[in-house]
Amino acid sequence: MMLSIENLNAYYGQAHVLKDVSINVNKGEVVVMLGPNGHGKSTLLKSLCGMVDKKQGKISYKDQDIIKFSSEKIVNLGITYIAENRELFPYMSVMENLKLGAYSKNARKYEKENLEKVFTLFPRLAQRKKQYASTMSGGEAKMLAIARGLMSNADFLAIDEPALGLQPNLRLEVARIIKEINNQGKTILVVEQNIPQITDLADKLYVLEEGHITFEGNKDDALSNDHLKEIFLGM
Amino acid sequence: MIKILAVIYGIIGILPIFVSDSSIMMRILTMILIWSVVASCWDLIMGYAGIFSFGQVAFYVIGAYSSAILSVSLNVPPVVAVLMAGIITAIIGVLVGLPCLKLAGPYIALVTFAFQLALEPFLKGPLGKAIGSGGSRGIISVPPIEIFGISFSSSNLVPFFYLTLIMTLVCSVIIVVILKSHWGTAFLALKDSEDFAASLGVSAFKYKLLVFGVTSFITGLFGALYVHYVGILSTRMLSMEVFTVLLIMIVVGGIGQYPGVVLGAVVTVTMNELLRPMGIYRLLIMGGMVVIIVLLLPDGVTGLFKKLSFFRSAGKREQVQ
Amino acid sequence: MLIEILDVIISGLLNGSVYALMAIGLALVYGVTKAFNFAYGSFYTMGGYFAWVFLVPLNLPGGYYTVFLTAIPFLFVVGFFLEKLLVAPLRKRSDWQMKAMMLTLGLSLFLDIGYIAMFGPRLKSLPDIVEGTLDIGPLVFMKQDLVIFILSISGLLCFAWILNNTRVGMAVQAVAQNPIGAQIVGIPKDRVFAATFAISTIMVGIGGILLSQKNFVNPQASTGIMIKAWVITAFGGMGSIKGSLYAALIIGMLEAFVGYYLGMIHIDIAVLTLLLITLAFRPQGLMGRE
Repeated sequence: MMLSIENLNAYYGQAHVLKDVSINVNKGEVVVMLGPNGHGKSTLLKSLCGMVDKKQGKISYKDQDIIKFSSEKIVNLGITYIAENRELFPYMSVMENLKLGAYSKNARKYEKENLEKVFTLFPRLAQRKKQYASTMSGGEAKMLAIARGLMSNADFLAIDEPALGLQPNLRLEVARIIKEINNQGKTILVVEQNIPQITDLADKLYVLEEGHITFEGNKDDALSNDHLKEIFLGM
Repeated sequence: MIKILAVIYGIIGILPIFVSDSSIMMRILTMILIWSVVASCWDLIMGYAGIFSFGQVAFYVIGAYSSAILSVSLNVPPVVAVLMAGIITAIIGVLVGLPCLKLAGPYIALVTFAFQLALEPFLKGPLGKAIGSGGSRGIISVPPIEIFGISFSSSNLVPFFYLTLIMTLVCSVIIVVILKSHWGTAFLALKDSEDFAASLGVSAFKYKLLVFGVTSFITGLFGALYVHYVGILSTRMLSMEVFTVLLIMIVVGGIGQYPGVVLGAVVTVTMNELLRPMGIYRLLIMGGMVVIIVLLLPDGVTGLFKKLSFFRSAGKREQVQ
Repeated sequence: MLIEILDVIISGLLNGSVYALMAIGLALVYGVTKAFNFAYGSFYTMGGYFAWVFLVPLNLPGGYYTVFLTAIPFLFVVGFFLEKLLVAPLRKRSDWQMKAMMLTLGLSLFLDIGYIAMFGPRLKSLPDIVEGTLDIGPLVFMKQDLVIFILSISGLLCFAWILNNTRVGMAVQAVAQNPIGAQIVGIPKDRVFAATFAISTIMVGIGGILLSQKNFVNPQASTGIMIKAWVITAFGGMGSIKGSLYAALIIGMLEAFVGYYLGMIHIDIAVLTLLLITLAFRPQGLMGRE
């Protein structure tokens, strides 16, 4: 098992956001996290990446308990968070954003190699190397955020709502890219519920409601559950 | 809140019965009252309204100079001069607030602090002399306040103390009313969420300006009261020392923990007097104290009390990492 | 007449260049850490005393070379650990910016009084870095002024180069532009905060060494310098480095002209008026973003 989270509790200020959450992700899998907004999906990803301070439980990644690790240490171990609202460096060019994506020690050695890979995956970014991130369209910025995440040379990507606010054709593009990245050997934990194509990729689905995991299973299990079908899969 | 205030001011109010013979004690008690109000106003601005104003000492000095100039150069009776000084300070406060309060936090701190720093050369320079500031010499022989033939001066400590106490109580009531009114609630909401503040937009500005005006009025009033008490005035009031002492009161009492700041004033004024024999090291200790208290007691003494009572009531609460 | 004006311009440029060095340090530290360092001026004085101790009582060989070579690491260490010990613990608290202002104000009083306690209240004079004059036609330059100007400009260029061409520099910019983004890519934010604080301490400390040669080492200079650096950064646009550069030169000039034609006592009032007028029309400062 690549990642296993056991009885994770996380707090945001006074609010108890995650309550005894346990999930498992195997190497090479795509795991999709479903659930209503504001019920803790982002907090789960952020806790995994060392971006939530108040938390307890166990997060083991490649047989190492990383719950107390700082975010830079986690990035260096090969887990990267790709934020829902992109979190780019607005007054830096595409190229500078990508180079900073390879900031961690583990990524530095592979900077050139990854840059090539990224430009093959996102040819549009290759044409806009010098453009400022703040001047890009929503779709392009999203691609840049994913590309920057790939520059970290991570084995494990925690992707938060990659298709939020995108037009239908771009959503398909995002799904295609996630599939492509997965085929290259990356393990992916993705929060997404608007694109059936991403749900289709899932090896496993979790549902997070009010801080609890309320469902775990594959897509067929999910489809046989009427409640889930209606609410989350939109079918 | 009202209970704590009543207890603190009650004790201070009774003390003169025992110490009225000691002029040092009476002076300390009087200064505690004056500073407690000035510091409370600052806490209202910074801790509640969330305005990073560093102009509090400047307003205090403006009140003092206004009243002194009115009564010395224009022969206005001190009672009237004190009130007018409050109004003048309020007007200047609003004038400073108008451009300032729309700025982001650090800019307000900066402009108000720069305002204080520019006040000294202004008062010492030809412009200040023209309005009767007395230049670097300052103003000497400011007449004491007289009501019904009683003179409230530094040679008559007990009456002045009770006059100050009455004004302190009135102003504290005003401050409590502001905090308990929907202003207070609005301020707390503003501090909780910037988005909410943005959605309030213009009205937030209006509240802030009003609070700035009211606190400037009270601060000016007490500045004026002080100058008629000591009888002399110079720009030394604008020194970093006065500023820091006032700051310590808030730090000790806890920002936004009213009436903690009143307790802060009691502790700070007393300590400042006790440390006086240490000469220059007094300020060294005061500066070091600010650093240590901010670091170790984030909400001042008040925070410490709250924490203690919290642990007592909920001792078994689960420890969160 | 013309020569007089030229003299005033030169003295404005000279002050402006050192102000730029100090204000840019402050713009950097505010832009990155969002902490208001009100003890900034006390590090200016610290620089002055550092040089004085080395040059006068100790009279170490190497003169100013030794001073600069030792002052830079010394100021770095001071700044780094002060951030780690005093500012960093505040960052997670409510009202932390206000608390940081209060703490640094207390620190500033502590340091300033500490200097008086250690070195006495009297001004100390530093030896000139070079002596003599340089005559170009009717113009007479102090060689010392030229060296101060050159040193502060090269300090600025060096700073700009580090910021734009090194990993550390890029990390600093990244944290300034988006701290969460910086965390995502694995930049150790806390270390960057401390490092920026340290760099700014170097910049203002060096400013202190340079200007104290002309203005003496004065334990009471801190507040004036701190407020000047803050005014310049606010005038230029909080956190904007380019803005601070222009603002420093403008304010240096303004001071020189007001000081020469109206008298020194009006300098603070003139600077404040300029700041207020600017902020009334452009609340974000000359080149601030938003």
